[in-house]
Amino acid sequence: MNNNTLIKVMVPAIGLSVALVVAVVGYFVLQSWWSSPPAVLGFGDGPTQPIAFPHTTHVTDAGIDCQFCHRKVTTDEAATIPAVAQCLFCHDFGKIDGTKSTSDTAAAELAKLFDDSGEPQPVNWIRVHRVPDHVQFVHAPHIQNGVSCTTCHGDVASMQVVEQVRNLKMRDCVDCHRDNNAPTDCATCHY
Amino acid sequence: MATQTKPQSATDRSTAFKWSMVIDLDRCTGCEACVVACQSENNVPINEESAFIEGRAFEWIRLERYWEGEWPDIKARFIPVLCQHCENAPCEPVCPVYATYHNNEGLNVQVYNRCVGTRYCGANCPYHARQFNFWEPVWPEDLRHQLNPDVTVRTRGVMEKCSMCIQRIRRATRSKTPSDIPDGAFNPACVQACPTSAMTFGNLNNPESKVSKLQNDERRYHMFEHLGTAPTTLYLKQVDTHGA
Repeated sequence: MNNNTLIKVMVPAIGLSVALVVAVVGYFVLQSWWSSPPAVLGFGDGPTQPIAFPHTTHVTDAGIDCQFCHRKVTTDEAATIPAVAQCLFCHDFGKIDGTKSTSDTAAAELAKLFDDSGEPQPVNWIRVHRVPDHVQFVHAPHIQNGVSCTTCHGDVASMQVVEQVRNLKMRDCVDCHRDNNAPTDCATCHY
Repeated sequence: MATQTKPQSATDRSTAFKWSMVIDLDRCTGCEACVVACQSENNVPINEESAFIEGRAFEWIRLERYWEGEWPDIKARFIPVLCQHCENAPCEPVCPVYATYHNNEGLNVQVYNRCVGTRYCGANCPYHARQFNFWEPVWPEDLRHQLNPDVTVRTRGVMEKCSMCIQRIRRATRSKTPSDIPDGAFNPACVQACPTSAMTFGNLNNPESKVSKLQNDERRYHMFEHLGTAPTTLYLKQVDTHGA
């Protein structure tokens, strides 16, 4: 192979591979910018939480209603994550007194909540659904107007690990508001 | 110009509310409680002395003081000045990105995430009611925890101004019909803080509200009425005919 052939092969090859890399990276960036990250290589997965809390067990198997734990969803801005004390309604933190049933798996997860003093500590949940600071999203009117939790959050009942299913960008919100004749005044959400 | 017709529905609030404020200057003592209340309610940055000297102080509501008469027959006069929420607002048509507009509740709204910081609106406001974030606002560490979560913390490069405490309006009127909201059920921070009840806030579309009745008060005047901005904010002041 002389120098001429090397140039004739290598230059287009390098050029094509660079173009390919740029195209793939560009696709990822633009797709994440306008929508959500493509669900490959774990990009669309939910984060690993400090304790493994399976919604499947609680919602599908135990049949607990969303509002039982996310208590403020009908009245307030935030749906609220329950305090650890609320786990005690059903779980007994491994100190079995015979009245509440806690499986070994649950006991092992709950044990992570105790610090050296033996007191349960709040869970530092990693936030999954986040809108920018300049958006004032309020749960209450959505629930009161018959929007179901699954409309935005997806089928959480069948999620082992909670992940974001809708991109929750402004177009997503506005499209839904238009379809349902909800207010589209900027100051409904931005103030 | 074609008129836009929108479908009427339960959520159509186009005629329900028209928020307005009336400020009785005969009652104002110039205590600046409104200024402090506004500052803490709306995450308005803390002003240092240099900010006032540079003319870049952030005050959504400020107190203008002036003197009447000559010493010793002199009287201090005060006017709280805030965004007048003009119906014919000079700030609105100059915005190239439609970041400030009039909504259907009679409010002049500033959309922070749409603002690109041309500052045309601030230049065009005769009331000097708008402030521009030349720098990222910084709060002392212990004050960061008192920021109001209902109000966006503005970033560098956006214009801001009095919103008539729209976060309180939203919270009070959410999923309610106008008849469910009694007059005076909620107030902006400045109105709530005023110790002499010099400020009144309410719905102009309710003929029974206090603000509606005060619209016909014989002491009424609009600030800079001759400019034709048609402010929604009304001032009351007895013209002093005897002495200074």
